[in-house]
Amino acid sequence: MRNAAILGYGAVPVGIYQRVKDGSDPPLEHELAVRVVLDAVRMAGLRKEDLNGVVVAHPGDHTKQGYFHTFLTAYLGLTSRSTVVQVLGNGMTAGLAFDEGLRLVRGGETDCVVVIAAHFESGTPTADHLNFSIRLTGDVDFQSIFGAVPIAWYAMSARRYMHEHSVSRAQIAEVAVKNRRQAALNPLAQYRTPVTLDEVLAQRMIVEPLGLLEVPGRADGAVALVITSEELAQKSGRPHVLVRSRGFYHEGEHQIPDRHTDMTDYQSIRIATKTALERANIGLDDVDVFQIYAPCTIVEVMATESMGLFPRGKGWAAAADGRSAFDGSRPVNTSGGLLSRGHPPEATPLYDVVEACIQVLGLAGERQVPNARVGMTVSELGNYNAAIAHILEGRP
Amino acid sequence: MSAQSPRMPILKRAGLRPFPPRVSAFTRPFWTTLGEGRLITTACRACGRLTFPPKLVCRGCWSEDYDWRELRPSGVLYSYTRVHVLPRAFVADGLYDFAIVDLADGVRLMCRLLGDPAQFAPDIPVEMVVAMYDDGPLFAARPTG
Repeated sequence: MRNAAILGYGAVPVGIYQRVKDGSDPPLEHELAVRVVLDAVRMAGLRKEDLNGVVVAHPGDHTKQGYFHTFLTAYLGLTSRSTVVQVLGNGMTAGLAFDEGLRLVRGGETDCVVVIAAHFESGTPTADHLNFSIRLTGDVDFQSIFGAVPIAWYAMSARRYMHEHSVSRAQIAEVAVKNRRQAALNPLAQYRTPVTLDEVLAQRMIVEPLGLLEVPGRADGAVALVITSEELAQKSGRPHVLVRSRGFYHEGEHQIPDRHTDMTDYQSIRIATKTALERANIGLDDVDVFQIYAPCTIVEVMATESMGLFPRGKGWAAAADGRSAFDGSRPVNTSGGLLSRGHPPEATPLYDVVEACIQVLGLAGERQVPNARVGMTVSELGNYNAAIAHILEGRP
Repeated sequence: MSAQSPRMPILKRAGLRPFPPRVSAFTRPFWTTLGEGRLITTACRACGRLTFPPKLVCRGCWSEDYDWRELRPSGVLYSYTRVHVLPRAFVADGLYDFAIVDLADGVRLMCRLLGDPAQFAPDIPVEMVVAMYDDGPLFAARPTG
C-alpha cells in the first residue's frame, strides 16, 4: 500500500461564530467551510479539477445544515469518482474523517481528497446543548436518567485520580495554565490571554472538582485538509507532511464497564499509540511533539501517562515544571489544546492535525518546538473507551 | 430469583423523574422490583457472569439464557461529582450529585448520590436506596450509617 501526505490545510480561528452578536449577521457553517477548503487547495498548489473525493466530519447536532457533505460538494461544484461521505464517531469524528481520507488515498481509490470539518453550536443555549448531551452519556435508560453530562466522566476520573495519587486539584490545574501560555502564541486559538493558577482555581465550579477553565468552552470552527499520494506531494515540490502510520483501539465498553476497573487509565490510548509507533518503526522518544484530544485538564494528565510519556500518578507535574510545554522535553498540545485553542468537538481532531503539520513543517513561529520533524496526533473518547493515533513526518 | 437481601429504604421524592427511563418487556422486571425495594440484574446461566444494567445476552459468552438475580444493596463509592451547569430537563431539580458505585457483588453502576456532600469521599461504604418519584423509582446511593 502506498503512503499518503498532507499537502495543504486551512482553518479559521476557533471562536463564537453561530451566536448572533451585537446585531451583526453571523457567518453560516458552509461559508466558513468553503473558505478553509479554498485555503487548503491553494496551499497545495492544486486546482478544483485535481480533487477527487470529499470526506466530511459529521457536524455537531446543533449545526443547522443537514446532509452537509453532499450540500458542500455541490456548493463547491465538485464531482467525485471515489466517494462523498460524512463520518461520525463521537469526539473522534474528525479523527476518523482524517483516517478515511488517508485510507482512500492509500488504497489507490484517489490521488487527492479533501477532508472537511465545520462544527457550529454556539447559538444553542448551554442548558439545551446539555439536554442533548445527556443522551450521549451512557445508557439512556440506566445512566442518562441521573443527568450525567459528558464532562462529568472526567470530573469523576479527576476525583479518583486525586484520591489514588494524593494530588490536589491545583496540581492538575497547572495544565490549564500551561496550555493557555501556548494558545497566547497561536493565532488560531480561541482564548489567548494568559492566566495564572490562582485565576484558574477562582473560577466557578462546572462539574466538581473541575471549574470553568478546567473544562472546554463552547466553540465553533471550520478546518480542511488536502490529502494526496506521497508521489503527488513529492512532485509538487512543496512542503508536505507524510503520514507514517495509524493505530486504533476500542475496549469494548461504553463508558463505565459492568465490573470494577481502573478509571484513571486509558487502555485504548496505550494500545492505539503503541500500535502507531510500532507500525512507523519508531519509539516514543522519536516523536518531537504530541497533540492529544484532552477536553479537561485531567484528561491530558491521564492520557499522557497512559501512553507512557510520564509515570503513572506523576503526569500532572509535567505542566508545572514545563516539560510538556513547547519549549520542554515532551511538548504536548502546543496549540493550546482543547482548553485554550478551543474545542468545536466534531472539528477538534482536524485542528490538532493542523497544529501537528505546522509544528513538523517548522511554521509555528514563537511556539515552535525546536527541530520538530515527527508529530503524533491522538483523538480519543475518554470514557467512551476508544482512541486513534497517527504519526506525521514533516518534509519542509 | 432469590430474595435474601434486606429491602432498600424507599425515599419519597416530590415530582416527576427529570429524564425517565423507557421500560420494555425485558426491563420491566427490573423497574417493578426496584419499586418494591429490591435491586436485581441478569446473571448468565451458561457462564455465571453478572452484568449491569441487565442485558438479554451475556456479554461474556453470548448465551441468551439468563436468570434475574438480586444484588446486595451495599458497596463502596468509587467516584462522584456534582453538576453545576444543568441540562434543561434537570433545571428544576437544582444542583445534583451522582456517583459510580462498586457493589459488593462485583458489578459497577452509576446512580444518584444522596446525603450530606461533606461526607462524600472515594472508597467510603455506601448503601443503595430507592428514590420514589410520583411517576416511578430511580436507584440511588448514600453514605452508610
